[in-house]
Amino acid sequence: MPVAEGKSVQQTVELLTRKLEVLGAEKQGTFCVDCETYHTAASTLGSQGQSGKLMYVMHNSEYPLSCFALFENGPCLIADTNFDVLMVKLKGFFQSAKASKIETRGTRYQYCDFLVKVGTVTMGPSARGISVEVEYGPCVVASDCWSLLLEFLQSFLGSHTPGAPAVFGNRHDTVYGPADTMVQYMELFNKIRKQQQVPVAGIR
Amino acid sequence: MEAPPVTMMPVTGGTINMMEYLLQGSVLDHSLESLIHRLRGLCDNMEPETFLDHEMVFLLKGQQASPFVLRARRSMDRAGAPWHLRYLGQPEVGDKNRHALVRNCVDIATSENLTDFLMEMGFRMDHEFVAKGHLFRKGIMKIMVYKIFRILVPGSTDSTEALSLSYLVELSVVAPAGQDMVSDDMRNFAEQLKPLVHLEKIDPKRLM
Repeated sequence: MPVAEGKSVQQTVELLTRKLEVLGAEKQGTFCVDCETYHTAASTLGSQGQSGKLMYVMHNSEYPLSCFALFENGPCLIADTNFDVLMVKLKGFFQSAKASKIETRGTRYQYCDFLVKVGTVTMGPSARGISVEVEYGPCVVASDCWSLLLEFLQSFLGSHTPGAPAVFGNRHDTVYGPADTMVQYMELFNKIRKQQQVPVAGIR
Repeated sequence: MEAPPVTMMPVTGGTINMMEYLLQGSVLDHSLESLIHRLRGLCDNMEPETFLDHEMVFLLKGQQASPFVLRARRSMDRAGAPWHLRYLGQPEVGDKNRHALVRNCVDIATSENLTDFLMEMGFRMDHEFVAKGHLFRKGIMKIMVYKIFRILVPGSTDSTEALSLSYLVELSVVAPAGQDMVSDDMRNFAEQLKPLVHLEKIDPKRLM
């Protein structure tokens, strides 16, 4: 069950990873989560009389054979990688906003039942923020382990620990799934996209 | 624990284009048994497989004259099977020597909220039907013998009515583009099914 949050600066990634290694986490390779944005082309809007919607197509290296497509506040579709081929065919109806492709890449750590991924969020050539994802493997229901997760987060994030993600909302007791992780990443990427670029000099 | 797979590169372009090669025919209800019998003999030795699928066809209308068509299919008898989304392109023209109908095809397995998602994208359902029949395989060739049922109450698959007194027979292969010998193999197989059923290349446009 993951939690993702954005922080301040790039060098903080090293501070975080060093803290995790001191705690005893084992490095286990790398990860990547990326997101492309599509919007409905002007030609399809006329007949429907509604404002253009944004569709996000995301990939997560944790699920290499899948492709996630979601609308903000809408359904999240989990499909296989041929969905990307379909998006190419739908070029006339959905236009890709190339400039807003955003991704996070970094290292994957395993600490007992926790899986921690610390990544640098980049948009094009520039680094825009940091993402931290923590997954507690054994549990699939959010409300059952939120306090445990919070305690673990506090041990290495200190004052930057976030509150409960909006994704849980009124669904605390339902089974958590990969689609919920992707919704959180989408919200994180949107937040980072809206932020001004952070100056490099800020270190805590 | 071993190291997991390394960073995944997003798929951008340059994927292999798959083509569907298709031959179709039909048999009247009373000839079904003899056809199944012959197919069981000719095809790969496996348990006879039946299927019951519900297919919905969605259209996205844009400024272009022809709407974009997507087919969403779900299995009604296999619980837990993913939904199947299929895009079929225009049939390739030219080459009269090619024995089968060839069109670009993209197949995607998806989660169950496919219809909600398609509606959100702007697609609207054009029509739906239920297909019930048998499935056979011979190498990469797939032979389907099925009956189409019209759905009387939209949205409910309980009340259906057979569309005709016959079964549709389809011989299809999905293969990468450029493999034209596939249609020769299909024609050779179709020859073996004569005179029970005549499988031929049927151009959908001629039917409109």
